[in-house]
Amino acid sequence: MGIAKTHSWKKLVAQVVLLALPTSVLIYYLLVQANGYYGILQDNSAIQHWYFDAGILLALVFYSFRFRFITTTAVLFVVFYLVYKSTASVSLGEFDAFFTSVNFLVFATLFCVGWLSGYGFSRSRYFSIFWPLLILAEAIAVFSHQSNLAVGEIITWFALILVYAAYIIYTSELIRNINNDQKYFSWFVFKRIGGFALIMLVLMFALSLLFNKDIKAIEKEMATTQNEGGKGNGESMTKQNKDGSLSNKDQTKLTGSLSKDKRLVFVSKLDNFFKDGKTPNPLYYTMYYFTKFDTLTQTFERDPYMPDNDLFSPDPSKIPLYFTKIDTNVIKNTHAPLARKIVNADVYSVLLSGSDFLAPSTSFFCQPIPVPNEYKNQYRSAYRAKMYVSELNSAYFIYNPGGNKMLEAFQKERFDLLRQTKDFSTLDKKFYNYYTFMPRNEDYNKIRDLAAKLSLTAKTPADKMLAIREYFLSKDEFGQPMYKYSDNPGIPGLPSANKLNYFLFDNRKGYCAYFAGATLFLLRAMGIPSRVAVGFLTEDRSSKNPGWYWFYEDQAHAWVQVYFPGYGWIDFDTTIPDLNTREAPQPDQTPPLNMQQAYFVADGTVTDIDTVAKRMKMDVKKIIFHDKNFETNVTQHIETDVSLATVSVDTGAVGLGYVKAGMHVTAASYAEALKNIDTTSTDSVASILKRIPKVIPIDEIKIIEPESKEQQKKKDANAESKPVDWVKILAYTIYGLLLAVFFLFSLPGRIYRFFYSAAKWENDPRKKAFKTYRVTMYYLNQLGYFRTNQGPQQYARSIDAEFATNFEQFSNIYQKLKYSTQPLTSAETSMVVSFFKPFRRKIRSKLPWHTRIVRFYNIYNTIHFFKQPKIQ
Amino acid sequence: MEQQIQIDQALGSIQKLTNNIETIIRGKRTQIQFILTALLAKGHILMEDNPGTGKTVMAKTLAQSVAGTHHDGSANFKRIQFTPDLLPMDLIGSHIFDDVKKEFIFKKGPLFCNILLADEINRASPKVQSALLECMAENQITMGEITYPLERLFFTIATQNPVEMEGTYPLPAAQLDRFFIKIYFGYVDEQTELDIYRNYLGIQNNLQHIQQVLSMDEILFLQDEAEKVFIHDEIVNAVKNIVRDTRKHADIILGASTRSGITFLKCLKAFALVNGRTFVTEDDIQQLTPAVIDHRLVYRNKEAKQKALSGILDKELSRLSKLKING
Repeated sequence: MGIAKTHSWKKLVAQVVLLALPTSVLIYYLLVQANGYYGILQDNSAIQHWYFDAGILLALVFYSFRFRFITTTAVLFVVFYLVYKSTASVSLGEFDAFFTSVNFLVFATLFCVGWLSGYGFSRSRYFSIFWPLLILAEAIAVFSHQSNLAVGEIITWFALILVYAAYIIYTSELIRNINNDQKYFSWFVFKRIGGFALIMLVLMFALSLLFNKDIKAIEKEMATTQNEGGKGNGESMTKQNKDGSLSNKDQTKLTGSLSKDKRLVFVSKLDNFFKDGKTPNPLYYTMYYFTKFDTLTQTFERDPYMPDNDLFSPDPSKIPLYFTKIDTNVIKNTHAPLARKIVNADVYSVLLSGSDFLAPSTSFFCQPIPVPNEYKNQYRSAYRAKMYVSELNSAYFIYNPGGNKMLEAFQKERFDLLRQTKDFSTLDKKFYNYYTFMPRNEDYNKIRDLAAKLSLTAKTPADKMLAIREYFLSKDEFGQPMYKYSDNPGIPGLPSANKLNYFLFDNRKGYCAYFAGATLFLLRAMGIPSRVAVGFLTEDRSSKNPGWYWFYEDQAHAWVQVYFPGYGWIDFDTTIPDLNTREAPQPDQTPPLNMQQAYFVADGTVTDIDTVAKRMKMDVKKIIFHDKNFETNVTQHIETDVSLATVSVDTGAVGLGYVKAGMHVTAASYAEALKNIDTTSTDSVASILKRIPKVIPIDEIKIIEPESKEQQKKKDANAESKPVDWVKILAYTIYGLLLAVFFLFSLPGRIYRFFYSAAKWENDPRKKAFKTYRVTMYYLNQLGYFRTNQGPQQYARSIDAEFATNFEQFSNIYQKLKYSTQPLTSAETSMVVSFFKPFRRKIRSKLPWHTRIVRFYNIYNTIHFFKQPKIQ
Repeated sequence: MEQQIQIDQALGSIQKLTNNIETIIRGKRTQIQFILTALLAKGHILMEDNPGTGKTVMAKTLAQSVAGTHHDGSANFKRIQFTPDLLPMDLIGSHIFDDVKKEFIFKKGPLFCNILLADEINRASPKVQSALLECMAENQITMGEITYPLERLFFTIATQNPVEMEGTYPLPAAQLDRFFIKIYFGYVDEQTELDIYRNYLGIQNNLQHIQQVLSMDEILFLQDEAEKVFIHDEIVNAVKNIVRDTRKHADIILGASTRSGITFLKCLKAFALVNGRTFVTEDDIQQLTPAVIDHRLVYRNKEAKQKALSGILDKELSRLSKLKING
């Protein structure tokens, strides 16, 4: 061949072995992956990768001679195109022709890719950057078609391609410089690889940010299966605390199965009766409200920033015995003046955590009370709650009145009342929008369609609600129930598919969270403000003790609350009865009835305890006397007789020996001696303590344990987890950017002002000359007259030629000042002093103002001014 | 401290000389300045360009302006046309047998003069070039056992054609180093060229009658004055930076030597004086760097030749231009 070679055979061999071979391996692996998802009939990757290899090899050899790229490649393409056309037209039978041409197309594509990469490795220096990026893009395209995409795999691929890129960049540069020793070779390679790694990092960061929620969801799911997989139970509505007590979960997730146990959680007395005064009206006990549904993690979440927050959740274990905690804001926030009454509930905890507070909505009052002596082993602690309860509310909302005339009348009456609400136009817009929010996408549109179908005949919100309930209870054309209750509904096969849709349209089996979730979105789709409530459902099983209810673990529940203007939040439960389990009756026991009246309660610190003489001394600031609160700023010392006292902590009864000096305790007295001492409105702590016996007989001591650090932390964390306000972040980002842009644009002007005033206010002629020279140079530089490659005199001369200024004269004086020891003459001094202003005036008169402004505020000019030129 | 320079007298001499040359050579003020700089720095100059640009005329004019042909006290001017068959003897001189005294006596060659015009120096063989360049470096000639010192004022003006032209022997880098300054003559601008054509008769006439305007003593005086020019420490620093940068530069195979740096400093002083100053400035550095440094460097390729030195120079000028005045 008479064509000169661009590089030696040695170089060619190096390219083939060090560049083409690893690339071929990588391509092979990518092809295997791609074939798995694009392959029509069979896996052809083994053959296909030879196409690529042929391309890269031939190109490497071909371009090691001095061939021109564009013409040769164009010829190749044309040949391929013609062959492709001809195979398509040769009729070997239509089917054969199709496959031949398709196969040829695959061959041609792979061969050309190989050919191009061969050319790149052979000739182009920047190809080593471009090529790994191309591979990366290819890898992303292939992997995005996989359904079982794992995070680990993505990271592995990124890492693999990064390693490949580093290798290719380094090796190709090495081969390129096989003959000449480039001085900065290692630095150059380092820069390239560093740059590439940076791009990869940014990409990975963006991806992980983008898929953060997915990744977290996957991790969460994994964690759940790992933790609970052993027990074989999926999700549970309650969680076990460290001390063995139970709480409702902070978040309820829709998962495969629900576990339920049959242990007693708490017992409660609820003074809520129907109008006849005898028939108990049970109410659901609420713990939290879930107002948000995270579509990605399929989880209902609490939102401490929900509008008109009416959740009262005190920690009863932190309130001294008999003292009260009241939050009247929640009453205000219900905005429900109609059909409301105040109801008492006493809750005796068995398994319920001492710091949990459960009560029918809307509670606003919490008062820890002692457990009567004879029940001390049975119940850990107790509190009394007061609620602002809607007369329309009832746990019977779901239970069929079952022929009970009075209940039927009640149902009818309340629905009639609720039907008076025609729309929600009177509601605050923000409130309404918040509680009717639902995500917009394909999945939720399906729910919207169903909601539209259900509300066809229903006019009022109340009727729409009932239509949903009817829908869940309805039967299909074979007379089978449409929906079934199941603790193990199974999860849909595809991950991250909308579980609610799966429940609503395919599986039709689920537990309360599924029903509540589905109902919530149906309601919101109908434009009815609603939220999910979590707590315990109440069942009236006792005829012996009306008003007393027993709560077992399997009664942990989620349901929906619907807002009606004027009436507030009304419980609405659409979970259909579980035919298998709820039938089993729970044996109710005797309730703790003997509650005593405490005449005197003192809250304070133990200063001294004598377990032999049964005397305890306390420092108190707060007391309750005959149900009245008294407080003082001056610590009072009291002495008590604790010979009869029972001592308890949150988790149950303890002995007197448990009490130590320094503990925070509440001491209560039921002594008859105190019964007849009256109080007046002018009484204070001191005056009462004077009137009662010096040594106060105490019957009840409750130790208030300091909050553990862990709990404190958890509380802080809860308080701090504010929702991310993206609009705000966007606004701040824009402000920040605007500020930065403004700063950038004003920078040239600011520097000019600084230089100018520095020159103006300088009195020493030498320094003034320097500063004037500096501002002149800066001014000219900003206007685009760079000094580059010119000496000062030459530069000044060119400026003078253009603007008829006397810059050269000034420049010469400046040079003289700078490089000689001769003093300035008075003429020269006056020249320095009065140089800049007339100079600037002349330039201004020659340059139109818009040109001046455009050039002057060009930040690149400023950068140029301060940049030290580099030697290439 | 600056030494007292008799600036008026010095400037007067320089002005006289410049004016005299300009009656013949038009539009070449910069080149004249460079030649005077080399003269005042006690160095030698090499002029390179195509034939017919006025190199030889320039050299001749300068020589005759300071060296009257035969008067006492005037400089002695010799001209050698270099040809391929020239021998070192033709320059240095040779021992010839004196019939009367019956002994060999040394017949001094044309090198024993004050101003030497070595025309088309690259046409001679390297042997001859070496002989000349040795004299330029040492300022003396050793012939056998006897060393003959050259004149106190010994100034060589060499001209050469671009090395690409046929029949030339390019000067090696080491020998180029002997020349303080190398300039490219270049063509004159359009207007001047027209001017020359219109007055070529007058110019030729002038060439016939070049006046001697300076005596040799005056030249020696100017050389002494040039040494007194004040050079600021920052300028010395800049010279150091430039010289060192040429050694570090990736595109320069052979950088400037320390001797080049000293030469540079001498030239800077002379150039300042030629420009009527008693101190060296940034401008001197800017104008002199290519003339003094460029021909000493060996570049990697042609492209580098155009860029490397100007990059180094610009970096240094940028540094100097931002320097604060001390005091």
